[in-house]
Amino acid sequence: MSTMRRAWRLTFTACALALLAACSETPKTTGAEAGMRLLTEPQYRQIIADVFGQQITIGGTFDPLVRTSGLLTVGASAARITPAGLEQLDRMARSIAAQVTSEENRDFLLPCAPADMRAPDDTCAAQFFGTTGRLLLRRSLAEDEVASLVRLANVATRELGSFHDGLASALAGLLVSPEFLFVIEQAEPDPKRDGALRLDGYSKASRLSFFLWGSAPDDELLRAAEAGELHKSSGLAKQVDRLLESPRLEEGLRLFFDDMLAFETIGRLEKDAIIFPAFSTAVALEAREQTLRTLMHMLLDEEADYRDVFTTRKTFISSALGRIYRIPVSRPDGGWMEYEFPEGDPRLGIATHVSFTALHSHAGRSSPTLRGKAIREILLCQRVPDPPGTIDFAAFNDPNSPAHTARDRLNVHSIEPACAGCHKLTDPVGLGMEHIDGAGQLRTNEDGYAIDASGSLDGFEFQDVAGIGPALRENVAAPACLVNRLYAYATARVPARNERKYLKYLEGEFADDGYRVPALLRRIALDEAMYAVKAPSTRTARVTDPVTGDPS
Amino acid sequence: MTVLLPRPVTRRSVLRGALGGATVGLSLPFLDLFLNENGTALAATGAPLPVRFGTWYWGLGHTPGHAIVPKTRTAAGIEFLTECQALKPHHDQLNFFGGFNMPLDGRSNYTHFSGWVASRTGTAPSTNSEIPAPTLDLLVADHLSNNNRFKTLDATACGIARENYSARSTNSRAAAEASPEKLYARVFGMEFADPNKADFKPDTRMMVRRSVLSAVNDDRKKLMQKVGASDRARLDEYFTSIRQLENQLETQLRKPEANQSCAIPAAPRRDGAEQNMPQGLEVDTVIANHRVMAQMMAMAVACNQTRVFNMVFSDNFSHMRRPGQTYTHHLLTHEETPDKDLGYQPVAFWFNCRTMEAFATFIDAFANIREGDGTLLDNTLIFAATETNYARVHSVDGVPVFSVGKAGGRIKTGMHVVGNGDPITRIGLTMMQIMGVPVDNWGTRSLQTSKTISEILV
Amino acid sequence: MKLSSGTPRVIHGFAACAAVVLLCLPATASAQQGTLGFVITLWNLGSHETRFVDECPEGLNVGYDEYWWRGLSKPDRATLTENGLKSRLQRYFNAIRRGPNGEDVCMNPTAVTDPPLLLVEGDKAIGMDLDGKDGVAAGRSCPHREFTGIDGTAGVDNQLYRLLGCVYGFRSYGQVEANENENRKSNGKGMTLIEITGVDDPRNDPDVTVNFYRSIDLYTLDGSGRFLPHGSYRIDMYNGKPRYGSSVRGKIENGVLTTIPGEVNLPFYGNYTYQNRLFRDLRLRMTISPNGDSAEGMAAGYLGVDDLMFYVGSIGPIQSTTISNCPSIHVAANQIADGHPDPKTGDCTTLSSAFVFKAVSAFIVHDKGMRTAGAGRGLLDRLKGVFK
Repeated sequence: MSTMRRAWRLTFTACALALLAACSETPKTTGAEAGMRLLTEPQYRQIIADVFGQQITIGGTFDPLVRTSGLLTVGASAARITPAGLEQLDRMARSIAAQVTSEENRDFLLPCAPADMRAPDDTCAAQFFGTTGRLLLRRSLAEDEVASLVRLANVATRELGSFHDGLASALAGLLVSPEFLFVIEQAEPDPKRDGALRLDGYSKASRLSFFLWGSAPDDELLRAAEAGELHKSSGLAKQVDRLLESPRLEEGLRLFFDDMLAFETIGRLEKDAIIFPAFSTAVALEAREQTLRTLMHMLLDEEADYRDVFTTRKTFISSALGRIYRIPVSRPDGGWMEYEFPEGDPRLGIATHVSFTALHSHAGRSSPTLRGKAIREILLCQRVPDPPGTIDFAAFNDPNSPAHTARDRLNVHSIEPACAGCHKLTDPVGLGMEHIDGAGQLRTNEDGYAIDASGSLDGFEFQDVAGIGPALRENVAAPACLVNRLYAYATARVPARNERKYLKYLEGEFADDGYRVPALLRRIALDEAMYAVKAPSTRTARVTDPVTGDPS
Repeated sequence: MTVLLPRPVTRRSVLRGALGGATVGLSLPFLDLFLNENGTALAATGAPLPVRFGTWYWGLGHTPGHAIVPKTRTAAGIEFLTECQALKPHHDQLNFFGGFNMPLDGRSNYTHFSGWVASRTGTAPSTNSEIPAPTLDLLVADHLSNNNRFKTLDATACGIARENYSARSTNSRAAAEASPEKLYARVFGMEFADPNKADFKPDTRMMVRRSVLSAVNDDRKKLMQKVGASDRARLDEYFTSIRQLENQLETQLRKPEANQSCAIPAAPRRDGAEQNMPQGLEVDTVIANHRVMAQMMAMAVACNQTRVFNMVFSDNFSHMRRPGQTYTHHLLTHEETPDKDLGYQPVAFWFNCRTMEAFATFIDAFANIREGDGTLLDNTLIFAATETNYARVHSVDGVPVFSVGKAGGRIKTGMHVVGNGDPITRIGLTMMQIMGVPVDNWGTRSLQTSKTISEILV
Repeated sequence: MKLSSGTPRVIHGFAACAAVVLLCLPATASAQQGTLGFVITLWNLGSHETRFVDECPEGLNVGYDEYWWRGLSKPDRATLTENGLKSRLQRYFNAIRRGPNGEDVCMNPTAVTDPPLLLVEGDKAIGMDLDGKDGVAAGRSCPHREFTGIDGTAGVDNQLYRLLGCVYGFRSYGQVEANENENRKSNGKGMTLIEITGVDDPRNDPDVTVNFYRSIDLYTLDGSGRFLPHGSYRIDMYNGKPRYGSSVRGKIENGVLTTIPGEVNLPFYGNYTYQNRLFRDLRLRMTISPNGDSAEGMAAGYLGVDDLMFYVGSIGPIQSTTISNCPSIHVAANQIADGHPDPKTGDCTTLSSAFVFKAVSAFIVHDKGMRTAGAGRGLLDRLKGVFK
């Protein structure tokens, strides 16, 4: 990515925006209460990698989160830690701590060495906890906090006979402490507005950092928070631009799309080995990587129009994917190559990627309904109602005219009133993708029977899967969906009612910006809405999802 | 370790709704010499052997008309049909509950979801992801004394860790151990204290860990003041989990009593290439993993690592499949045309039969461990249920439920209990009462009940 | 296809055409702008075997081991074989050196004179008519008995089969072939790529070019070890040109590719022996599956006696299971060779042969400047690591 060009572009955009901002009015929001959200698994991993390095391995299972407003990150704002979950986190913490203090790592991960390896060294311990604790707890530690960590390490060292083991014990405690595992936001009185609240500097830093980098604030961002710079628009802008220009933006945006595209189960995706022998877990993981690479390249490197992700022919292919897509791969021994699907190939855009078509299929066959539902819910942020409880398919299965293709199987769903309401949201979309089988491979027939792959999406008709991309591109819900998801991700909660106008405004600005994602990220990060906080209500708050009605 | 003398559990005391105090403080394993002549009680104190509670889950119900012969009145004797043939040898360990309904009071029947949520929590969910109350196993676990290493042990044979049918609330749901290796590592891994090993030294590292955790606790008050009301409940749950972990360490620091029933199982069988057992939803894989995990779970219970356990065979959408087939168990229940001569969906039926065979395997695992004068199963109570009666139509009325085990002699077995349309929560209520949970009514709205199923009480 | 009834007919027509075209998406899996590619997965001697070994009326041949111990006195036999307890493999190193001066008789097949090799006496064989009706008369080939093909073809020439068909090891159950295929499958040596270029219609094209390369990438297998189609394979290149790279012309009729006889050098690996196999007058007949994912066929042509004997001789200790004997094969091979007479001596120097093979579709990657993977390169890399 060309940092110089991007920086120039951002500056230009910033100036333009500043002028526009002076003219246009950003709708005001009152936000929501300061929240407390659990670190998600990707965030946890990212933080450990950022603080201690990629060489630290993390095993173990995290408690599952409930996808809310389309994002696990939002579900994390209501998540709790079960005893079994904490047991796992404790095991992870001890393993991480042991690795950090291991012989191979201690020389460069610890800022100092003890005078005697078998005895406590409070000075060294204090140095370590001062710096590391700050990065892990996302705030500076008070003297007494450092002191108590040092004391803990001291006692542990004496029990265990090793400075490093003692240090590791205390570090493990830090890694299961609630202030590490939970991002606990704090509000303070806003000196600029009487009676109102604002998020404190550390909370702003966390929100910003988790939004753009998917990780805890780095040392510089914490310093800016401590200096009060994040409360000033120039100070905030400086940090926002720094985060946007960093290569870590890509990691952060990957985490976002991983969440939005629901890739967390893709590593477990299994396909029938006889029907789809070319599919394997490696293929599934590479499929995810293909889509993320494509998105990062288009949205960050090329700063393309977001809607083009649905119609682009350009992507990246690995050798395992080459076998699924039936594409020659010039690096069959591994690695990625850029590839452009030729004219006439019906595969355009991320909705035709294996990461989408195979993920939303069954193990042994495709699924127009699952795909249609995924397009609606994931890419367009529309809700497909649940199937009705009592429905008997007996009336539909005619043993004398067996259904050969998916279209035949689903036909009755589009006729029967109880089914049609929802199925007409999903099936016409998904049926248009039937030229792609359950493993993401192109096909011309289903078991020898011709496939009629005509479909439609909100009035946009198409003859086959080549049409799904353009249909998505023209659908106004698609960019609006990204805006909504990004904002929910940034605030880690379901958007509040008072934010709806702001979101509409953002959607308009996104369009004016040519649907460029870095510009949108910058807008969200600089606008007041993202940091707006209100006082807790006097009655016991019971936060519910305005869309699903789910309670917290 | 305290041992409380229990009040005798009589039908009278149940009817009076006063079952509290039947806590069995003894949760550590014991030697034969503690048994009286009948092998059924501790010699000195007269307290019975610890009773364990567990749940077993299977997806997609039964094939009506081919599973259990329906009855009109509660009576002894369960008649198994073809689908449940495998359960015949276990007749005397089972009770079957048929004809209990699940009134949803106008809330949607969220397919494959409402069924298990309502029957395990007592409340019908109002969204497709809501778990409105703790599942009954957690209520039992909360009540039983905390002297075991794990509060509950949850595992699943189909590899989907998040499909754990034990949860405290929507957002408080642990991942189940999803493979034999994971279950083994958790229970019998490095931290397992072998009760039959001669030498025992409290591990210094565990003592250090205990200090570390108690330091974490120190922040509690300060932190509680920092957060809003709803978040306080979440923080509270976190600190409860910390306490559970401290408890676990306490258990590990005590010398376990010798336990004849406890024998460390072999690590899960690995292929020659040092690979883990295959994972996935192919039905043979699920069956194989389930067999191994059932044995491990039973031994974990026999070794008193936990008193409450949850095992899932197939998930609520049962994605089980056969190699080379485009259908999954679930798709079959909807798309397979019933055979006009047989009167049912043959391949879906096949899957259901395999499921019941697996159920029998699970029962075997507990029945094969000797404990005292009988078996582990004699001292266990298992709530075995599914989420639907007939998967094809997602019906939640008449959802089949079994109880397994003699609960330490507290229940009769071999009964076919007929619900006559009563709410299914009667079953959960009764089981909780048998386990000593001081509850005299359970559930909300039309699922609320206080009617114990006294026919199965001893 | 849903089009509203008001749409003009012409558009219906175009739409119908478009639908047909789209439904007929290129089914040939590894088509790259008029190119088809395949990688050979199984390669076996075209050996026609009957259940009761009718083609070898005098039974199968004796191997080197028996010739060895038969030539020993009984006491020597007892000592050297430990009364028969030493396995054939264990006594191989003695047995193979049964030349009068201790020569290894596979390296020096003329060091001993053994009874003649039992040849195939049957009438039927797998193969093609390589020398035409008047091959002998025209001096193209040496006199030899021809077979009738199992598909009915008259005048089939397959002297290699005649030679090896009654040698246990070279029959289908005899390990040589099975080992070869297993070796190649796992170590990726001796992998042949078949590239068909100039293809306008993958099912019917009167004029195509067929190129043969060696792959430097291993096979891709699925979870059960089956070969997967549509993989990409890089060509072994040397100094910017493909190593191998023989080319012949051919045609495709109803999905069957046949080629005009030509000289083709193929990479060969089997039983730890690496060899260039130069086939003269090679003809290919390959049937491509309707969806283009796989192919199978026959390659028939003349294989040099020297090339063959190099391989037979290199099998080494595996001969303890193949029950073969190099000297007899050597003599017989030279005697029954039927192709490419030496201009000076008039003796034929090649054996007609037929091999049956299976293949899966492949993308053949031409990557100019690719260096060959191999010991040489590895050494270079290791040196680079040392002298950083």
